[in-house]
Amino acid sequence: MALRFPSLAFFEALQREMRAERERFARLGFFDTIFGIRVLPESPGAAAEFVLGFEVFDCVRVAEGLAGVETDFVAEGSFSAWREMLDNIHALGAADAAHSFNTLTHFGERLSVRYDDPDRHDKVYRFAESIQEFLDLSARFDFDYPDGSRPPARRQLRRTAT
Amino acid sequence: MSYLSTTDFAEDQKFVDRFRQTMRGDLELSWMDVAREPVSCRPQNERRGLTFRDLDVGSYGFTEMPERIRQNRSFAPRGAALPPGLPDLQAEVNRKSEVWAYNVEGYYEEAMTRQWNATTDIPWDELQQTELPEEIGKAYAQLLTFLTEVEMIATDVPAKWMGRLNADFFEVKNFIATQAMDEARHTEIFRKRALSTGYGLMRASAHNEFNLKFLRDADSFAEASLALHLQAEGMVLTLFRFSEYISPTEGDKKLFRLVMQDEARHVGYGMQHLKWVLDHFPERRELIHHHLDEAENFVFGGGYATEVVEPFIILSGKGLKKEQIAEGVRITNAFQLKQIEEYFERLAKCGLPERRERSRLWRLVDLNRQAMAAIAPSTSVPHA
Ligand SMILES: [Fe+2]
Ligand SMILES: [Fe+2]
Repeated sequence: MALRFPSLAFFEALQREMRAERERFARLGFFDTIFGIRVLPESPGAAAEFVLGFEVFDCVRVAEGLAGVETDFVAEGSFSAWREMLDNIHALGAADAAHSFNTLTHFGERLSVRYDDPDRHDKVYRFAESIQEFLDLSARFDFDYPDGSRPPARRQLRRTAT
Repeated sequence: MSYLSTTDFAEDQKFVDRFRQTMRGDLELSWMDVAREPVSCRPQNERRGLTFRDLDVGSYGFTEMPERIRQNRSFAPRGAALPPGLPDLQAEVNRKSEVWAYNVEGYYEEAMTRQWNATTDIPWDELQQTELPEEIGKAYAQLLTFLTEVEMIATDVPAKWMGRLNADFFEVKNFIATQAMDEARHTEIFRKRALSTGYGLMRASAHNEFNLKFLRDADSFAEASLALHLQAEGMVLTLFRFSEYISPTEGDKKLFRLVMQDEARHVGYGMQHLKWVLDHFPERRELIHHHLDEAENFVFGGGYATEVVEPFIILSGKGLKKEQIAEGVRITNAFQLKQIEEYFERLAKCGLPERRERSRLWRLVDLNRQAMAAIAPSTSVPHA
């Protein structure tokens, strides 16, 4: 059975992929943050929430739900915004210029970063490349969406000036 | 000529006799009898390795370090026995509160593991294959020129102060050594990228350079840190995030993600330093405001100069056509509002919430708001 986004199993798959890439993440350096992912439904209903904890070079915690969890920040967006990012990563192997996590969250147009503490919020910047490379790992496994559709198949990474 | 010794050792009979005795095997061994504090240091987290925090024990540690360093005025490493006759090196900064920051030892360790290489970590080949439209290429080269100029002085400032701090503040000295390395790498990467666009370096900025001179010439480390780490680099950090947003290619995006990581550590140190000062010496609040008044004046002059703002407008509007410029102005406005908002948020978090009211930067925000109101709303307008 394919993995589904959003689900705990999806983020556990990302955690496994990160473990398999230990050398690459060790090269990027200490990665110490705990942040949330919130996927808002397109129609009224509860958001899907997950917490991701990173320590030293590993993803040490993946859990469902954000209630009562202290996070540095929460990345939030509609299901379609997350889907657009994941589709892009899956098709190209890594986010293109229009779909990097920083670009999507910078002005909160597609995704936004919610936080209470500006110092802890700055971890979005401090670990920017680690966060991007972690999300890019989703290109490596197959998954589907709640309606059964799948992200597009891999095509040649197109490098363009936007 | 450099420092001249007060002793000619080759002619000093006592020194020469002692040396002869030692080399005959008659050891003195007094250094071995100095009473020392026994220590046991091991990694608190095996996966992380042995960190400076693991060494924070007794007189070797930083927790017990006093505010005023009256004992050690030499190069003696903190915790070593201080024999009589050590030179007073006249360090300029001997008060812990002038340099210390919560978690400075953590920022150092993070910096050491997160170093990267401008020559090999960027897909230069791929960048070179991407041809940028002329106005985009020129605007980008101008932005890179400005950043190269900024990063050079950002290298000089920590390097200037490093040797002026008392040796007991070695965690801070080590941290600003990593900062000097980070900034040198930033100068390198922006220069390399400017030249690899084919347009090379464009025009230096007088306005920008007056701001950089202000940073370099600060009277004290505390003032330099406030203006550099917290204010200028805080603004630059938001600017890097914006630069990633408007970057024309994936390779450029990676470049800006890597520099923003370094910059965020420098800002983190600046924030934790100001917090330390306000927690321990609240009477310095007024002085800090006075210094920020002038720092903000300079940053306005430097960051909002024509040759700095216009490339942003062209890059975010993606061209020079009328509607592209209008879009670029809108996006750049949103960026500037975000930049100022994040600056005040950081100051409030450090314990200076009233800065928001006192600052003249609000005049600038008003100018931005008026400019935004004057432009017809667009569906693609980002909201800060
Ligand atoms: Fe820098
Ligand atoms: Fe910096």
